[in-house]
Amino acid sequence: MDTQFVGEHLKPGQLGHFFVITSFVAALFSTFAYFRAVRTEQSDPYNSNAWVLLARNGFILHTAAVISIFITLYYIITNHLFEYHYAWEHSSLDMPRKYLLSCFWEGQQGSFMLWTFWHCVLGLIVMRTAKVLETRTMAIISMMQVFLCTMIIGLYLGPEIKVGSTPFMLLRHAMQNAPIFAMPNYMEFVQDGNGLNVLLQNYWMVIHPPILFLGFSLTLIPFAYCIAAMWRGEYQAFIKPTLAWSLACGAVLGTGIMMGGAWAYESLNFGGYWAWDPVENASLVPWITLVAGTHTLLVYRSTGRALTITFILLSITHLLVWYSTFLTRTGILGKTSVHAFTGDGKALTYHLLGVIGVLLLLTVGLLVKRWRSIPKIKTEEATLSREFWMFIGAVILFLASIQIIITTSIPVWAPFAKWISGKDFAPPIDPMQHYNNIQVWVSIIVGILSATVLYMRYKNSDGKTLGKRLGITAAIALMMTACVAWGQQITAWQYVIMLFAACYGIVANIHYGIAVQKLKFKNLGPSVAHLGFATVLLGILLSSYNKHAISYNTTGESFNFGKSAQENARESAENVILFRGVPVAMGDYFATYTGDSDVAGKDKRIYYKVSYERRDSATKKILEQFMLYPDAFINPKGQQGLSANPSTRHYWNKDIFTYISAAADKSKRDTGAYKSYTANKAGDTIYLSNGYMIFAGLGKNVSDKRYTPAANDLAVTARFKVYDLSGPIGEINPIYIIKDKQYVTYLEDTISSIGLNARFANLVVHSADSASVEMMIKQADPKDDYIVLKALIFPYINVLWIGVIVMVFGFFISLGNLLSRSKRMVLPSLQAEE
Amino acid sequence: MRKTHIVLLVLIVVAISVLVSVFADFSTYETFAEASKQPGKKYYIIGMLQKDKEMEYDPKKDANHFIFYAKDKAGNLNKVIFNGEKPRDIEKSEQLVMMGYVDGGVFRCSKIQMKCPSKYKKDMVAVGNES
Repeated sequence: MDTQFVGEHLKPGQLGHFFVITSFVAALFSTFAYFRAVRTEQSDPYNSNAWVLLARNGFILHTAAVISIFITLYYIITNHLFEYHYAWEHSSLDMPRKYLLSCFWEGQQGSFMLWTFWHCVLGLIVMRTAKVLETRTMAIISMMQVFLCTMIIGLYLGPEIKVGSTPFMLLRHAMQNAPIFAMPNYMEFVQDGNGLNVLLQNYWMVIHPPILFLGFSLTLIPFAYCIAAMWRGEYQAFIKPTLAWSLACGAVLGTGIMMGGAWAYESLNFGGYWAWDPVENASLVPWITLVAGTHTLLVYRSTGRALTITFILLSITHLLVWYSTFLTRTGILGKTSVHAFTGDGKALTYHLLGVIGVLLLLTVGLLVKRWRSIPKIKTEEATLSREFWMFIGAVILFLASIQIIITTSIPVWAPFAKWISGKDFAPPIDPMQHYNNIQVWVSIIVGILSATVLYMRYKNSDGKTLGKRLGITAAIALMMTACVAWGQQITAWQYVIMLFAACYGIVANIHYGIAVQKLKFKNLGPSVAHLGFATVLLGILLSSYNKHAISYNTTGESFNFGKSAQENARESAENVILFRGVPVAMGDYFATYTGDSDVAGKDKRIYYKVSYERRDSATKKILEQFMLYPDAFINPKGQQGLSANPSTRHYWNKDIFTYISAAADKSKRDTGAYKSYTANKAGDTIYLSNGYMIFAGLGKNVSDKRYTPAANDLAVTARFKVYDLSGPIGEINPIYIIKDKQYVTYLEDTISSIGLNARFANLVVHSADSASVEMMIKQADPKDDYIVLKALIFPYINVLWIGVIVMVFGFFISLGNLLSRSKRMVLPSLQAEE
Repeated sequence: MRKTHIVLLVLIVVAISVLVSVFADFSTYETFAEASKQPGKKYYIIGMLQKDKEMEYDPKKDANHFIFYAKDKAGNLNKVIFNGEKPRDIEKSEQLVMMGYVDGGVFRCSKIQMKCPSKYKKDMVAVGNES
């Protein structure tokens, strides 16, 4: 039965499909042509050139198709064509324009498209710059595009087997069983889309995913160069470009990861910037292996050692990106992650595993094949050489990433472990502690190494100079550690050592930059990056070690968690209830909930006004006063409960981080009863529970939007000036109406900030110029208006953000230096450098 | 033997011993019965919200006290006290992963991970109602 559906726009979808197919075929063609070009490179240069030209055009066509897919989908989303599942699921009519782009990467197909797009951009750059390595690197890149295109091709091979899922799927195809789609005019019922998850409606959602995905995409290029080098069997030409791309990748991916942290910190109520959540780990691990690989590549460039491990590390970096896609997109993490990605089931699982398998085979196969021909140096490196310790540092980073991956992957290997041991493995009870206990040692070793190796030279160093320099540095760092540990009351011994490592890193890198490199800007890359890294360590330590809640609930009971009394209190009662207008002590502050911004129908987001005061303990004088406005979406999209965004007060040395964990339900708040009051003459006062109102007289000129005057109506308004305890807050003008001289109606007036409802209930006329007004007044019980708040203090969190910025800056200095040097063509690659 | 090899060997030994000790950190998914064998020890329990039993949450009294009943995989019902605010959408959850320990027959829980019906299914319901 073929139904003719009404009101659908099928053209954009068909066009989109066409572009998807085009991009896939073009990528396939480009891959094939590049492979042919490689095959004929030696034997038949003339034909090879022809193949290269064809392949280039193929890739350009592919890029054009990918951009067209983007434009088509954007057209569908901006025009609110909800007959398309993607638009319906991720966008809605009321969504601000700036988030329309974010719809792309909320969904799975959109993020694959973003990834594909970045590969295209990078591919075009590689095509122009790779020279002798173009054919091989581009063959790999084009092949990757083929894989990525299959993710959005949406091909059905039989009823159960599908390859990829297309973003141009129609709503009625996505949910074939829903009865609504039996109706030809179903579009009349599909008026609005689901919209973006409210948690994601944030400017970070606009900027974070593109940068993170650019970082992920950048891992492809070093991978492609490594494969190309092994493929070609020549191990010089790839060094420079691989190093440059690795540095760019380290900077961008590092920025992307920390943006995720900043986003979590600023606008999600995870309670911090890093929680060792599987999804966070999945993006961190490739960065760690990338940094390790970049360093071993530097070793190879200067000494000819460590080439094999460079290939392994840089290849594994890209494989880990695919693996993290596997972890986060297939829903396999399910019960272990707070990130709400939807799983796309079995098809995607096998699809991704297939891609990972192919890439793994390719890498391992090439490594095995070239194992003997990969240059190695037989002699032993000196103990005081830079390469020796850089190598150790790289290995430690690699081991650290293995640990993170093993714990993160529990849901992946748990079924196998259950099969073997019968135990149903779960993540650690306290994941933070689990990771921290191990990674603190990694950070100590890497922190100290990253500062020390700069003082060493490749091949060998002068022990005396080295000892002297490092001795002075260590002594200064030790003093600094003592001061900070004492000032910040850091007592756990392993964290004192970490503090030392961070201080040592800071002192050593600053000293190195000034004393050894004489602040020559172009050489400062490594010391600046390492300085940033040490600062990050310091920031993590300071902000996490003394992070504490100030919102203790003093009314409730405290549970026994089998820990110290302080920890029990912390765990069980970090939420405090604030009744409207009642100040509550929170740390050094008194917090008062003073009302909310709820304007019916205007914004789904409600801001809660909380005023903070800090008073001098002796004189009671107010030292400081500020407002915070944590906000929440109440019952978003028909869900129960609320979705909160924090509000943070920033100081130079700490942040006060607050968010709403519950709020009074407004719909159930309307429980107060009306009470009757009478005002006889202007100037009479009616006392309210938290203020008063003064009668200002009657008014005959009624102007109210809710009221349209009619011929036989008599309408009077009673004017009141309303004051709360601090002063006037407004006027109310409730209206008393007699319609057709017999029916009485009222128009109430309200002041929401004090929960006041006033009805002009009766007018008693005594004489021509004297009348009493009878008022029915209802006031919300202040106990009915409350919020439950959590407030945390993060000390010195700015140190962390500054560290990240400095580190990324260091990456870029190195990159700039590398690129400017390559222009002058002075890169005797086996020469030692200071 | 080269120095690098020695260091590598040492690192590998350290890494393996760390990994072994890491395994001790890993928890397991258990049932209420299993957890009550060792009161006070923390476990993960996979279960479902018992929807016909009453849930108690009064933030005015204590914002960190939410009582509900859950059924574990073995089908046993148990009272759960969660020391936190009532999670949003818990009524709609189809699976709960609760972390906590048994204390006097009550499961004291400090973390709940909810699995809600997949977006796809939820969509189905929403559209089905419109027609």
